[in-house]
Amino acid sequence: MNAVVETYDLEKTYFLESVVVRALRGVTFRVDEGDFVALMGPSGSGKSTLLNQLGCLDRPTRGDYFLAGRNVSQMDDDQLSDIRSKYLGFIFQSYNLLPQYTVVENIQVPLFYQNARLDDRTHRRCVRLAEMVGLGDRLDHRPMQLSGGQQQRVAIARALVNRPQVILADEPTGNLDSRTSDDIMQMLVKLNDAGKTIIMVTHENDIAAWAKRVVRMRDGHVETDVRNIERTQPSHEANEEFLQALSEILAEEEAEAAA
Amino acid sequence: MKDFWVWWDKTRGTLVLALRSLWVNKLRAFLSVLGIIIGVAAVISMTAFGEGSMQDALEDIKRQGATNVIVNSLKPPDDGSSQRRSFIANYGLTYRDYDQFLLIESVVRSVPMRIIAPQEIRRLDRMQQGRVIGTTQDYDKVNQIELAIGRFLIDSDNDQDEGDSRSMRNVCVLGSNVAEMLFPFEKPVGQTVVLNKHQFIVVGVLKDRMALTSSSGLQEDYNNDVYIPLRTCRARFGETVFIRQSGARGGEKVELHQVTLTVEDTDKVLDAGAAIEDMLSTSHLRKDWAVTVPLARLKEAERARDRYLQLLAFIAGISLFVGGIGIMNIMLATVTERTREIGIRRALGAKRKDITFQFLIEAITQTSLGGAIGVLVGFGGVYLIAWASQFFWGVHVPFLFSRRPVLISAGASIAVGIFFGLYPAMKASRLDPIEALRHE
Ligand SMILES: Nc1ncnc2c1ncn2[C@@H]1O[C@H](COP(=O)(O)OP(=O)(O)OP(=O)(O)O)[C@@H](O)[C@H]1O
Ligand SMILES: [Mg+2]
Repeated sequence: MNAVVETYDLEKTYFLESVVVRALRGVTFRVDEGDFVALMGPSGSGKSTLLNQLGCLDRPTRGDYFLAGRNVSQMDDDQLSDIRSKYLGFIFQSYNLLPQYTVVENIQVPLFYQNARLDDRTHRRCVRLAEMVGLGDRLDHRPMQLSGGQQQRVAIARALVNRPQVILADEPTGNLDSRTSDDIMQMLVKLNDAGKTIIMVTHENDIAAWAKRVVRMRDGHVETDVRNIERTQPSHEANEEFLQALSEILAEEEAEAAA
Repeated sequence: MKDFWVWWDKTRGTLVLALRSLWVNKLRAFLSVLGIIIGVAAVISMTAFGEGSMQDALEDIKRQGATNVIVNSLKPPDDGSSQRRSFIANYGLTYRDYDQFLLIESVVRSVPMRIIAPQEIRRLDRMQQGRVIGTTQDYDKVNQIELAIGRFLIDSDNDQDEGDSRSMRNVCVLGSNVAEMLFPFEKPVGQTVVLNKHQFIVVGVLKDRMALTSSSGLQEDYNNDVYIPLRTCRARFGETVFIRQSGARGGEKVELHQVTLTVEDTDKVLDAGAAIEDMLSTSHLRKDWAVTVPLARLKEAERARDRYLQLLAFIAGISLFVGGIGIMNIMLATVTERTREIGIRRALGAKRKDITFQFLIEAITQTSLGGAIGVLVGFGGVYLIAWASQFFWGVHVPFLFSRRPVLISAGASIAVGIFFGLYPAMKASRLDPIEALRHE
């Protein structure tokens, strides 16, 4: 298996006025292509800090981080921005859609910063993704007009638009009720089944149970790292359309990549 | 080429975003550019009025002729010697002076004038008061006057058979008002009028001639003038003109009241004027003459306009500066409010310069729209003020729109957007993505 994410002795230290906070104290960690990792641990253990490092939103104080073979721990701000727009997809707890934009426009944002043309093809692709997450009748709605679950589905579509190598999710179901959480997790599992690598922070065992692998952190260390043997299985009949659309989109992507 | 289209997509997207963001906060955006709106509107309307009145003044000067030098006789202030109560004041330009002027190389045309102050002009039982002006055939050319009918004086009108005063040509050209008063029903050309007991044949009538402000600031009305050949004038009216003034009798002996010289080129007008001044100050003991160069007044008027424009630019600069500070203030508030948006964009791949660009475009959009509104308000204000002063006070306020203030306003509005938008935009771009994302 190819490693998509590899960290070696990653450290992150915050130097505050009076104290020094060692949020990460040497994390060595590897995620293979196609894996689905749940990051767990008590509050303040460094889960978000690690995820931000993996998401190239910040540079480590020490250590190396290879994303798909590229050492990103030494890159400058512009290069990191490039990496984020081309290789990473983000899903946040509070959805983080842009209020001025419609559903389709929100999905398109990562492409806006890729220095590529935004033509009819990209627009069609964004529409397809919106339809895939079940918002085909809401294309021109603003985030304010959508429920939390719908907003998170837009965020998922947005995280897919740039064909990322890794999808990073920080408590994606933290603001949702359990039914809606289930819907979202079903989608993530299916994305993973289709080959997408996902790293997700969560507090809840129910949510972590959907993942293939559970990593527990404590005080900036990885404490345990286990395969999930009693994995929750997605129901197949519920998301027939989603699967159908997903496989179509992925097939298209492959055809394009080959051309 | 591809780069251009990529850039274009980005700019267009950013522009659309800027417009939407402004639209969300319509009132706030409007209030924050109010300073710019007022500044630009003031500049547009003030330059329109300034240019308008300047244009009027320039036309006035041009009517006097930009290549002309006008030399007038001037009654010198009473000095001790004239306390002898000599009845006849003897002063002014002489025929000798006139001949001397012709020696100046650049002079192409020279028109002498004698002005016989108000005379009765009669036609049968009708009478009209008017100045009689003795002059030569070139008068109409230097003064750019037009004939309604007939002809102006011609060369041969001033011809003279030596010693034979009876061969004087008793012809005259009437100002429009004189013609109207004396000949309400007939055609004046070919008829006779009586001037100082002599009969004159009317050979032409002038078109209405606009009064213009002379160098002494007096409005001169030319429509009551009667023009006769200079020689005829000398012969029929003599060299001495008697005037009755507040009971006291007096006489003036003035050979020529005015000489209007035309110089071949505007470049040489000022030199010619100076040469004439030199000439007259050596040949005349008293300062009984005055030289007017309309072009010099034109230059002066232009200088006055430049000073006005400088003052205007200064005021505009201050109001734009104040307006710019308003923009900066509002942009800083916007950046704080939209910190989270900045964090999201950074997470999704926006570079620092993308963020700078976005907020800069937003500031520029705001100030340019403000500038555009200001231009429209300025235009509207000018029409409104011009209309209102005509309607309520019957005062004609001249105005003239030109392209320059509009272009300058547009440029200044954009510049203010860049200048005062840059700091907030840079500040936005320096936010840490993680902290920005955490911002509530
Ligand atoms: N910008 C920062 N400056 C200083 N300290 C920080 C900063 N960010 C995080 N920390 C500290 O690093 C530690 C790890 O924080 P982190 O947010 O990664 O925890 P977490 O595991 O995500 O917790 P939670 O489950 O509550 O989200 C905490 O002690 C936190 O106070
Ligand atoms: Mg966290």
